[in-house]
Amino acid sequence: MFLEIKNVKKSFGEGESRQEVLKGIDLEVNKGEICVLLGPSGSGKSTLLNIIGGIDTADEGYISINGEKTADMNEKALTRYRRRHLGYIFQQYNLIPNLNIKENVEVGAYLSDSPLDVDDLLKTLGLYEHRHKLPNQLSGGQQQRTAIGRAIVKNPDILLCDEPTGALDYKTSKDILKLIAEVNEKYGSTVIMVTHNDAIKLMADRVVKLRDGVIRHNTVNEQKTAAADLEW
Amino acid sequence: MRDPIAKRIPREIKSDIGKQLVIFLFFVLIISAASGYFIAGDSLINSYNESFEKYNVEDGNFELFEKADDAAVKDIEKDGGITLYENFYKQEDTKGFESKLRIFGERDEINRVCLLSGDMPSADDEIAIDRLYAKNHDLKKGSRIKLDGKQLTVSGMVAFSDYSTLYENASDLMFDNDKFGVGVMTDDGFENLRDSHLHYVYSWKYDKKPADDAKAKEASEQLVKDISKHAVLTDFIPAYTNQAIRFAGDDMTDDMAGMQAFIYITIVILAFITAITTDNTMIEESGVIGTLRASGYTRGELLRHYLAVPLITLTAAAIVGNVIGYTVMEKYMAMAYLGSYSLTSYEVRFNPDALIKTTIVPFAIMFVINLVTIWNKLRFSPLNFLRRDLSRRKKKKSFRLNTKMPIMTRFRLRIIFQNLPNYITIIAGSFLANFILMFGMIFKPMLLSFQDTISDNMLCSYIYIMKAPAETSSDSAEKGYLTNLETTYEQYKHEQVSIYGIEKDSRYVNIPHDGSGVYLSTAYRDKYDLDEGGSITLKEKFTDKEYTFKISGFYDYPATIAVFMDAETFEETFDEDSRLQIYLSNKELTDIDDKLIASRISETDLTKTSRQLMRSMSSIMNVFMVFGIIMFVIVVYLLAKIIIERNARSISMTKILGYTEREISGLYVHSTTFVAVLSIICTIPLANKILETVFKKIFMDYSGYFAYIVPVSTLIATCIIGIVSYLAVSLLLNAKVRRVDLAEALKNVE
Repeated sequence: MFLEIKNVKKSFGEGESRQEVLKGIDLEVNKGEICVLLGPSGSGKSTLLNIIGGIDTADEGYISINGEKTADMNEKALTRYRRRHLGYIFQQYNLIPNLNIKENVEVGAYLSDSPLDVDDLLKTLGLYEHRHKLPNQLSGGQQQRTAIGRAIVKNPDILLCDEPTGALDYKTSKDILKLIAEVNEKYGSTVIMVTHNDAIKLMADRVVKLRDGVIRHNTVNEQKTAAADLEW
Repeated sequence: MRDPIAKRIPREIKSDIGKQLVIFLFFVLIISAASGYFIAGDSLINSYNESFEKYNVEDGNFELFEKADDAAVKDIEKDGGITLYENFYKQEDTKGFESKLRIFGERDEINRVCLLSGDMPSADDEIAIDRLYAKNHDLKKGSRIKLDGKQLTVSGMVAFSDYSTLYENASDLMFDNDKFGVGVMTDDGFENLRDSHLHYVYSWKYDKKPADDAKAKEASEQLVKDISKHAVLTDFIPAYTNQAIRFAGDDMTDDMAGMQAFIYITIVILAFITAITTDNTMIEESGVIGTLRASGYTRGELLRHYLAVPLITLTAAAIVGNVIGYTVMEKYMAMAYLGSYSLTSYEVRFNPDALIKTTIVPFAIMFVINLVTIWNKLRFSPLNFLRRDLSRRKKKKSFRLNTKMPIMTRFRLRIIFQNLPNYITIIAGSFLANFILMFGMIFKPMLLSFQDTISDNMLCSYIYIMKAPAETSSDSAEKGYLTNLETTYEQYKHEQVSIYGIEKDSRYVNIPHDGSGVYLSTAYRDKYDLDEGGSITLKEKFTDKEYTFKISGFYDYPATIAVFMDAETFEETFDEDSRLQIYLSNKELTDIDDKLIASRISETDLTKTSRQLMRSMSSIMNVFMVFGIIMFVIVVYLLAKIIIERNARSISMTKILGYTEREISGLYVHSTTFVAVLSIICTIPLANKILETVFKKIFMDYSGYFAYIVPVSTLIATCIIGIVSYLAVSLLLNAKVRRVDLAEALKNVE
């Protein structure tokens, strides 16, 4: 199994205000799958994503990628883990405001020994002509494309997407989802995507529904719909 | 209803207590030092100014070759419109410690003496001596000193109103309160001392005081002529040129202006730091500001809110600083002056001007700089704030950087350009701090270096200046001539130039004897930027007779402003009356009658400037060094911290992407390292050049020459101290970067 999540528990606060956000999550994801995590606010999906991404730690249980357990890792090892395996896409893009578009992508490329060609990637993303602009000169969709470029330029094993279309309009959202699907297909990256949008589950290989820190449904989608055909 | 957002202010201060405390303490440090300085300086200057009337300080003095008879005195008084007072003194070398003591009889009419402790002399074997001179030689009431073979008892400590600065001679570059002192005895006690070193000095007071220095100059020029008609003048010192009377007052006044400029520059830099801090806070809180503005809060209300913290910090610091200034610092600051000058007693007085300079003006500077910054930010619309869209340059493309440069280099450059105002303030702040540090650092090595240069380039160990021709059997002695002339530069004060006539085949001064021209000391050349082949015009001190000499070359003699010529030319140029016989010698001459020796110049005399400066300035230089380091650390830390805080989200994101701590520090701290280290390295030669110019300018107003020689090792040491200070800052900055939470990037932007 490529990604294994075993009995992951996480709580916040102490004493009476203690709140258990993840109550023992077990999940397995195959390499190259698109896995969509669905659930209402407070269901624990973003917390789970952050634990997979090594930017938060589980109170109990472990995450394992290709047999490497994050629970055993110290700060430095976690950094190496993120560097080697992960690409991150956020709802807020989190581009570095004082770097231009090309440089933002190069920030991702720097982390890899064999990154993708930055100019080719920018052309693929439709950003080549904007490469000298700063992030705040671009639309939300273009910024998110840049964030995707930065995430995939190092050809990561897993692409973690936290509400990647949460801040975008309908058309741009579909373009971004199409792009994520293309990246998955072209580079074979495993995609874990957190979303509120129920319609997105149709493009996934695996759909996991969380509620109150517990997985309610974990289904394999046999009949995937192309991202371009999604409707909501 | 009270403005509800005002409730945030104490919480805001509390939440960032570290930074606020640093700024507060730095303000306190500056304000208390400045306040203490202004209060002490003002009180001392006030008492100094009052001393002229209180102690009836002379309008000038002159020395005659012999005592003037009553008729001559009356004629001089009548011609000059002055009243004369005998102010004779006898000068003796002390036994037991090396110094000269100038002794006066009772001074009831002119230049009265201020008793500071103990008693005035009442017996013939008692003497009251200058407080500072006594301190330097550990003399107290009851101490015994031996003068002219007589044991005298110190009865008390005094300040001479006409020797507030202990200059032995008007032509001295620097005072020397270690090797030279003044004392007062009873008239009978004074009479009992031998007359061989008696000086016939007369002080005068104008019957109608000249309105200003220009008028005093005119009057004194006329007076020289009037006196010369009736007696042989050997020295003439109007009060306005008398360093012993004027130097302390001028120095304290100049220092006050320097301190004023210093405090204002420092406050401007701190004001920029607080403005940048507030600007950063406003960017962080842009969503809140947008919401408040959209809800109806006016720009003025928000302006007042964001102005409050820096102004409250300054006001609190000003109150604490002024209290410390009046209660503690005043004493330390006064001690700095009382350690150099022999001032009469003074009283601390409330100084509204100090309050204006240390509180009102800094408050105005802070207010204006912060007001402009905050108002400029508040000009954005509520929507701009809600969208965090607070850049006026957004429509422009980013400037290009060569893509052949590694991405990390470009990243660092972008950080520098993004935070340009911070870095400019860092450069300005570190320049000022390094300038102060360097000022403190160079002083001692510079003086030692100058001292060594003088010692290495002495003409000989002793120069004896004779009152009348005398012979010696010493094989070390070599005869020569000396006369003193004055420079004639319009733009500078006229100063004494020693003209030496050198015997052929001299063992001590090797100059050609071809009569082609004169050789100037290197001190003369360097002070007035003179070139070989040029000429100099000098004049006699008490007449208008001028001499022009061709400069044939320069002689390596950094100690004094001197001209060397062969003895034959000297004899042709100067008549016998103006020639003084001298002996150059490497050994002391013991077989010449003391009465025939006018003075003896040794290494001690030539190096007294540097020794005095070292004695009076060393402790204050250490303060400069420490202050420079503190200022550098604070400026760099506060501004670099803002850069990290402003980029917290990007730092967090790079962490998430998998950048290591080292790589992230490499981006966000090394950019600051680059700027800070570069500014240290650039500051040092620049500060060195500026200090050289400043020193040269300062010493143009003094007689003699002081070479600005800073060893390279001192410049390197200054650089190292700056870099080590920065390393301490960078440790804090690295810790700050490490503390940036990974979750920072996950926060939803408001």
